[in-house]
Amino acid sequence: MRCLIACCVIAATTPAFAQRGLKDIPPPDPAAELAAMQVAEGYEVSLFAADPLISKPLQINFDTQGRLWVSSSSVYPQIRPGEVANDTVTILEDRDGDGRADAHTTFADGLLMPTAVLPDDRGGAYIANSTELLHCIDRDGDGRADERRAVLSGFGAEDTHHIIHTFCHGPDARVYFSQSIYIHSHVETPSGVQRLNGGGIWRFAPDSLALDVFARGWVNTWGHVFDAWGRSLATDGAGGEGIYYAFPGAAYQAAVGTPRILHGMNPGSPKYCGLEIIGGRHLPDDAQGMLVTNDFRANRVCRFRLTETGSGFASMKLPDLIHSSRVTFRPIDVKMGPDGAIYIADWYNPIIQHGEVDFRDPRRDREHGRIWRVTAKGRPLVPRIDFRGLATAELFAQLAAPESYAHDMARRELFARGDAVRADVDRWLASLDRPGTDYERLRLEALRLKQGLDRGSAADIDLPLLKAVLASPDSRARAAAARIAIDWAGRIEQPADLLAAVIDDPAPQVRLEAVGALAAIGGQRATELALHAVDHDRDEYLDYAVWLAARDLRDAWLPAVVAGTFDDGGKPARIIFAARAAEAQEVVPWIVDRVQQGRLTATDQAAALEAIAALGGPTELRLVFDLAADPKTDPTQAASLLRLLVETQGRRRVRPAGDLAVVTRFLTAGDGPGLAPAIEACAAWNIGAAGQPLAAIANDVARPSADRLAAIRALGSLSGEAARAALVDIARGPDSAVENRATAITAMVAKWPEAAATQAAVFLAECGDSKALDTVYRGFLTTKGAAGKLAAVLDTGSKTLPAAAVQAGLQAISSAGRPEPELQQALTAAGSRSSGMAESVSGRHVMTGADLDAFVQQVRTKADAKRGEEIFRRESLKCVACHRVGDHGPRVGPNLAAIGAASPLDYIIDSLVHPAKNVKEGYQTLVVLTDDGRVVTGIQVARSDEALVIRDALDREVRVPTAEIDEESIGTSLMPAGLIDPLSREEFADLVRYLSELGK
Amino acid sequence: MRAFGGCTLVGLIVASCLSGGAAWAEPCLRDGDRVVLLGDTFIEREGEQGFIETALVATHPTASLTFRNLGWSGDTVWADSRGVFDPPAKGYARMLALVKELSPTVIFLAYGRNESFRGPAGLAAFRDQLSTLCEDLRAATGAGASATRLVFVTPHPFEGVDAAHRNAALADYCVAIRMIAADQKATLVDLFAKLAAELPAESSATENGVHLSATGYAAAARVFAAACGGELPADFAIRSAVVRQLVIDKNRLFFHRWRPANETYIFLFRKHEQGNNAVEIPQFDPLVEAAEAKVRAAARALP
Repeated sequence: MRCLIACCVIAATTPAFAQRGLKDIPPPDPAAELAAMQVAEGYEVSLFAADPLISKPLQINFDTQGRLWVSSSSVYPQIRPGEVANDTVTILEDRDGDGRADAHTTFADGLLMPTAVLPDDRGGAYIANSTELLHCIDRDGDGRADERRAVLSGFGAEDTHHIIHTFCHGPDARVYFSQSIYIHSHVETPSGVQRLNGGGIWRFAPDSLALDVFARGWVNTWGHVFDAWGRSLATDGAGGEGIYYAFPGAAYQAAVGTPRILHGMNPGSPKYCGLEIIGGRHLPDDAQGMLVTNDFRANRVCRFRLTETGSGFASMKLPDLIHSSRVTFRPIDVKMGPDGAIYIADWYNPIIQHGEVDFRDPRRDREHGRIWRVTAKGRPLVPRIDFRGLATAELFAQLAAPESYAHDMARRELFARGDAVRADVDRWLASLDRPGTDYERLRLEALRLKQGLDRGSAADIDLPLLKAVLASPDSRARAAAARIAIDWAGRIEQPADLLAAVIDDPAPQVRLEAVGALAAIGGQRATELALHAVDHDRDEYLDYAVWLAARDLRDAWLPAVVAGTFDDGGKPARIIFAARAAEAQEVVPWIVDRVQQGRLTATDQAAALEAIAALGGPTELRLVFDLAADPKTDPTQAASLLRLLVETQGRRRVRPAGDLAVVTRFLTAGDGPGLAPAIEACAAWNIGAAGQPLAAIANDVARPSADRLAAIRALGSLSGEAARAALVDIARGPDSAVENRATAITAMVAKWPEAAATQAAVFLAECGDSKALDTVYRGFLTTKGAAGKLAAVLDTGSKTLPAAAVQAGLQAISSAGRPEPELQQALTAAGSRSSGMAESVSGRHVMTGADLDAFVQQVRTKADAKRGEEIFRRESLKCVACHRVGDHGPRVGPNLAAIGAASPLDYIIDSLVHPAKNVKEGYQTLVVLTDDGRVVTGIQVARSDEALVIRDALDREVRVPTAEIDEESIGTSLMPAGLIDPLSREEFADLVRYLSELGK
Repeated sequence: MRAFGGCTLVGLIVASCLSGGAAWAEPCLRDGDRVVLLGDTFIEREGEQGFIETALVATHPTASLTFRNLGWSGDTVWADSRGVFDPPAKGYARMLALVKELSPTVIFLAYGRNESFRGPAGLAAFRDQLSTLCEDLRAATGAGASATRLVFVTPHPFEGVDAAHRNAALADYCVAIRMIAADQKATLVDLFAKLAAELPAESSATENGVHLSATGYAAAARVFAAACGGELPADFAIRSAVVRQLVIDKNRLFFHRWRPANETYIFLFRKHEQGNNAVEIPQFDPLVEAAEAKVRAAARALP
């Protein structure tokens, strides 16, 4: 007993398996760390600051005096019982300008995991303090905070690498900051509670205390930067899509509360942390405007080039700026500095974060940390400026400097000076050369100054200037001005009319911002204008923006449309778009009217019918149905209408009124485009008359397999003995293909589980096809209670099953996300009864200690990546059924394009052996039981009040209406345990080797 | 509108009848009371300010009181802030379970501000749910002679630009709270009516219109002390600074106990990764107790 306890204790405290590769932690010598860096041609790296001056830097930001503020935590990831949190914010200065910090002041201490610090440009700073956003003020100017108060509180701390982070100043004088996916925040403000569940970017106006969510979603928006025109770019540490374009209301992966999301520009990227746009005189021409971020897992500093396209950007990855061979180099933040050099915060830690490694692992570094400085070889530095010491006129002059750094600092300092400089803005603007090369940007700066110096009075706004910038020849200025108009809308008469000038702008990005501004302004007139965007081309971002506006403004346009007072400019497409976006069923009669009047263009007519099919009630759906069923209707259009009607049945459980049996016409009319949707329609509407023709299709060997399988599945949805008998016949075979047999068994599960189980027991014993086996098991596992029925049949008949069938069953259970102990036992028993059962291979690759060390060595020295790739692509191993490597392939599991660069060898091994142990953020399985007995297992794609969208193990997006969810729980990993069991040790080594080289 | 005005007037009369707290035979706090504080940011930040708790400890120097602050920013009587990964209803159930575990003899309930943003339209629902919350808390903590005593706290008034119309709405919510308190013969801490009188001249209570400053908390502490039958000397805030720091230290320890960071990894769906560290969390219990003993000792030593 004592021994057992001792063993348990050891097991519990042994450092996680994933960190085995970290046995050789290099000594923390900055010189050696520097020597291990490969730096891009033309650049060099020097040490700006290191421990003991600073330790464990989490965020860095320069103030207007050129001092570098560093937030640090040794408490991370978790406070110990009895430990008094004493994390710090430090100010570093390079007084002699030699590129090395020579003075430091502890600005604040006693902090709890300060993940971010942002100087307030008045000597104080905003500091993230776990659940609070603190404002610390230095009254006496000694560089130490004298006052500390929570300006915002109620942020979640469910995960300490998700707590509020990435503070930055917006060009609109707001403070922007982020929270990550597991955080739930409830913040009281003077105008009410603001809540954000899940990830997103907040924005906060320190003067008015207004707080709102700027954009939502992402796993970890650890990078956020504004470009010269005020456009937001972000990175995600785990989203895997590289650089993201963020605008007000945008939603990305894992967003809570929206059914629709946008995507990043570099799918297949690793986790990134920190983001900066580089440029200025010190850096070479080809560096201007580049984005720099950090792949901290792979010890790299990465570069991207953006190009404007449509309403957003395209992003291209470039060769790395720095790549280190030392596991302790953990670049996590990057900022342009006052001398024109690039500053990089190196968290310095062999352990990446806390998910996979014990909080108390002794190898966690709690004392070191570096700030590196990257300069261009042989190029002069930029003269350092203390913006706080400049006269106001000099600050204005700096807005035209060659460095964006100078623009940002000058603007911040002008904001800080407040009312005193307000009158100077006009004088400066009037003094500018027009048309100077930079005039449009500078005039926008003047507008921004007015925005930032606004204290809420009617006199603070500058309507003529706003109008002038909205009419700027530069589309980027027009787009920025549209967003600024929102802040002033409450003090402008008919603010929506201001945006009329830009809603039909030739530049898509201007239209995008105009739509957003109109949505924020609200009201009927704003909606009428916003929907102009429907007249123009819409890319992903723009379509999203109009869709969002139509939803947000539903109350502003819907009553007017119903009352006939909405001005659609004679373009019904606008209202049809809005109706579909907002799922406004009330508009259906209006649309039906337009269809019946017969005056719609062909495009509008198609859109109108789709809208009716999506939103209508039984009577209106009948109109669509009759049109679809009419032999005179174009077959392609008929097919698309049928498809929409089927979708409506699934989504809202509404069907066209009356007898629908005429749809069987498509089943006997050959294989036109209407066949597939008609088969689905027969199933969805349970058309009894379809039994015969469906069985005929199912058994017609001359037909394409897809049609036959669809017919088999449809039979399972019909009531009646005939359908059941037809399915049993197919399931029995032996004339049917295994896939058809498996599908027939699966089709029976929902309605006739006992019959399905009886057929399955026979089939499982004789089928050697792993895919078909998987289909059958999945059929039972996705119907509530069915797995137990299968178990009973296996048990009562003392059935025997071959090893492959048992293995496939256990794997299917493991990825189903919920325990099925009865079936698990029944399968194991059925396997053990099998004579000549091969020795179990289950768990053969579980390794510990010296065995594991030897295996790691084998991977490094003997394994072959090419052979590994062949193994990876084996269909029987199922890797490629779920994972993509690069831009194409399924999205069920994480993209493995960069796994090798990002993950140590032992982590890869561990993830293959114990898939449930290291689940990547955003890939946690959700198990949903529906009110009709279905079990849906998969990864959450989106969630709103109306529905949950899940990506299942077959890479299908399944939409489950919230009203149909009976029960919801969280599983572990969709990846079944034991997938690699069939591999020999050599093959396993080859596979690991292949994966470990991906992305390198 | 007239009806609401009438309501408010009745409410004020009821409130004035209840003032002082000593109107009831039962004292508000007794020896050995375990006090739980429930509410929104007002309660949550009291944990870091400590004025109110310090006042209650100091005015009951011989009573061995314990305080457990369960305030949660943005919270409502529906536990809107307590759902974490679940809907609020589950957070509500967890809150009740935690209260049961703490087995308090006294619960202070400080709700109404966040709810009041819904205005008159939300009033009835608030009143009903506040009653339900009281019943649920009683059910969770036992009935009879040893029944938990509820103490009701009205939100302090809004300040700042929109204060007039926000307070008009809030006043109705305060009436609802007072009526429930009267109905249950419970002690009422009427911050809405009484905070202003405790503030130094020319001082505002809040730092942003909604959240009390240190000055505001010091004034609120006087209202609490009075409602619970105590009286504070004029220079109490200065005299009790040491006790207050000990209260804050204790509350920080308890915060790590009941709302530990990294819950996702320690207790929830990623506990397979760091669940072994759950053993550390109960280790805060003796630390909290020791810290509370220090608070009591320091309070007794106050001049």
